[in-house]
Amino acid sequence: MTSLRLWLRMICALLILSLISGCWSSREIEDLSLYVGLGIDVGQETKFEKKISAQGGGYPKEEIVTATVQIAPGKSSGQQSDEGGSPSSGKSSYSNEQLTGDSLLQIFRQFSLRRDRPLIGHHLKVIVISKDIAKKYGLKQLLDFVLRDNDIRPNCLVLISHHRALDVLTSKDPSRIPAFYLTGITNNSYISNKILEPVSLAKLDAEMQSGSSFLLQNVLNADGEDKFSGGSIFKAKTTKFIGELSQTDLEALSWIMPEEKAGGVIKTYSKEGFTVLYEIKKKTIKIIPKVSHGDISFHVKAESEGWLMEDWRAPEKEEKGAYLKELEQDFAKIVDQQIDQMLYKLQHTYKADVAGFRDSLRIHYPKTWKKVKDNWDEVFATVPITYEIKTNVVNPGSSTE
Amino acid sequence: MNDSQVKISTTQAVVIIVNYMLGAGILTLPRTTSKAVGTPDVWISIILSGLIITGVGIILVTLCRRFPEKTVFQFTREITGRWIAYILGCANILYFMVIAAFEIRVMADVTGMYLLERTPTWAIVMVFMWIGIYLISGGLPVIVRVFEVILPITLVIFVMEILLSNQLFEIGNLRPVLGEGIMPVVKGLKPSLLSYTGYEVMLVITAYMQNPKKSNKAMTWGLGISTSIYLITVVMVVGSLSLDGIKTRTWPTLDLVRSFEIQGLIFERFESLLLVIWILQIFSTFAITHYCASVGIRDLFKAKKMRTIMYCLLPFIYLAAMIPKNVYETFALGDMLGNVSVVLFAILPLVLLLLSIIRKKGGKHA
Repeated sequence: MTSLRLWLRMICALLILSLISGCWSSREIEDLSLYVGLGIDVGQETKFEKKISAQGGGYPKEEIVTATVQIAPGKSSGQQSDEGGSPSSGKSSYSNEQLTGDSLLQIFRQFSLRRDRPLIGHHLKVIVISKDIAKKYGLKQLLDFVLRDNDIRPNCLVLISHHRALDVLTSKDPSRIPAFYLTGITNNSYISNKILEPVSLAKLDAEMQSGSSFLLQNVLNADGEDKFSGGSIFKAKTTKFIGELSQTDLEALSWIMPEEKAGGVIKTYSKEGFTVLYEIKKKTIKIIPKVSHGDISFHVKAESEGWLMEDWRAPEKEEKGAYLKELEQDFAKIVDQQIDQMLYKLQHTYKADVAGFRDSLRIHYPKTWKKVKDNWDEVFATVPITYEIKTNVVNPGSSTE
Repeated sequence: MNDSQVKISTTQAVVIIVNYMLGAGILTLPRTTSKAVGTPDVWISIILSGLIITGVGIILVTLCRRFPEKTVFQFTREITGRWIAYILGCANILYFMVIAAFEIRVMADVTGMYLLERTPTWAIVMVFMWIGIYLISGGLPVIVRVFEVILPITLVIFVMEILLSNQLFEIGNLRPVLGEGIMPVVKGLKPSLLSYTGYEVMLVITAYMQNPKKSNKAMTWGLGISTSIYLITVVMVVGSLSLDGIKTRTWPTLDLVRSFEIQGLIFERFESLLLVIWILQIFSTFAITHYCASVGIRDLFKAKKMRTIMYCLLPFIYLAAMIPKNVYETFALGDMLGNVSVVLFAILPLVLLLLSIIRKKGGKHA
């Protein structure tokens, strides 16, 4: 009797175990299309779409955006057609698919009419937005879906492409997945001050909500190769693209933004005309806001320590004393000039504070900040900013002369 | 099983308080409080309300200690007379039931959003409730033993996850301190007070404590642990995502964990781990409230069959959980529960305590 009950119990337990280990709504990963990159362009129908619409297969839409999704891994066979972007033949580690429409989600759902595997956004790494569409629509609108979606994680990066986002998401080498090396490049911001600190969706959302103008990394593309260069300025309230900063401006920017990591080099020419290079190893930056009788001003104190890493002086001489002092001043002067140009662009050309002066004012003078908060960009355009840059050479690298 | 024989230690009482308090609130706490405060001083509000609640909690246990070995449902009768006691008792029971329903509903909403998008809600909820009833039908000692397992797991994983997010942390997001004076902090007190519901479990638990004299200590420790967890959460979420960044996030604490990836550390993403421990916490809150409601019915109506009561409550809790039509109504229900709890468990115990002193009911300070 007891053994029968024991058996019954064991069967019960086995049954339950086999049932609860299964997942109710599981979906096999092989049956899904994981998209790792998303490109947003001005609407432009692909050939495929045009042919389909010619057959009456369209739906009412205004063709505002063209979305490119980069799916990894791509297809193994080479039947890829004339759809731009994907490598045309052979094995490829990714495939780009494009559709045009009015809303991102509608476009995504439209994919399910064409492909057997549904799209899934858990692994989206990078979003590339073309400059042209960012001029027309604010990022708040373009990214609204992405921020609401429950699959896409807020650590996804956002980049701006100079031309079409599709080109940026295309690489000559089919074994390289563009979305991955784009995220890889952003991680280099610690050795070059020409790359902005990576901006994730979470950070971007915070900036858009706080009502400040902000800066996003630019990506250029030529012959299937991408390059990071400069940044795009977005206006506070509209979150639309208003202008660009060059690589040099970004270098200058890194001297007045405390949170930027050290890194980067300064090039100057010695009196004799030889190239001398200074690599920044450590940087301490202090932004000191001042408010007197309602007048706001800023003073930036930046000091860096670095190594003298290259000196082309032909008959090698000892690098010390007056020569080093002179070089240090030269380096500082170059930074001074760069900052000058950059601040002119920010204050006069674009009237947008993307350098984070707002934060130091907010922290140190909360009451004044409350007054100027709503039209800070206009106030910023007239605020006097002074700065002093010091560069110290502490080390000649591994070769001393 | 005879519950009146069961005794729990002071530490176990602490464990119950903390497990009850940590629940649905922690995922939305940074948003609700920072919306009300409007400056980065949210964390001061959290500390202040923790202190206030400790005061309230001590009043509550002082009341309980005047009536040793009696739960709130039994001793209210002695203070106020039968009819008022019935009304108050029913209100308490209803409150416990609705809390249980609310926790279940939030759990179902969040798992539906981030974990099991295509699983029907009833399937998630049913499994949850059945396991809950399996647990509480074992009585208080079983509940406590499970809680003692759950709590350390929760604390370790939670603190680890929150600390992993330090790569996003920027101290500037928490400055300036008191930039706009003390008023914003005061405004933030209400929503943060609401998140401290849970101490009321002592109304029932004190009766089962081995050493009711130490209920003060249990209360203080329980609230202390909960306050520090809330504090860490708010500081890290506001510090990492900034005040403006969490205004529009529905579940900010979860978004904090979703905002980073760590390569080369077994897991790259930590939100599922967070959801797991958080579901454990919701489960414990659900279990204890369901249990308290059952105890309430038993003591108020002098019923005998505890297990029958528990099973009878099940469908009602389920139905209550399904009442909110959407996520907004669920949040509204949460706010309402918070308001009710202030009346039931902050104001009422004080009144009862004063009444019992005036009418000389109950023993001296035990």
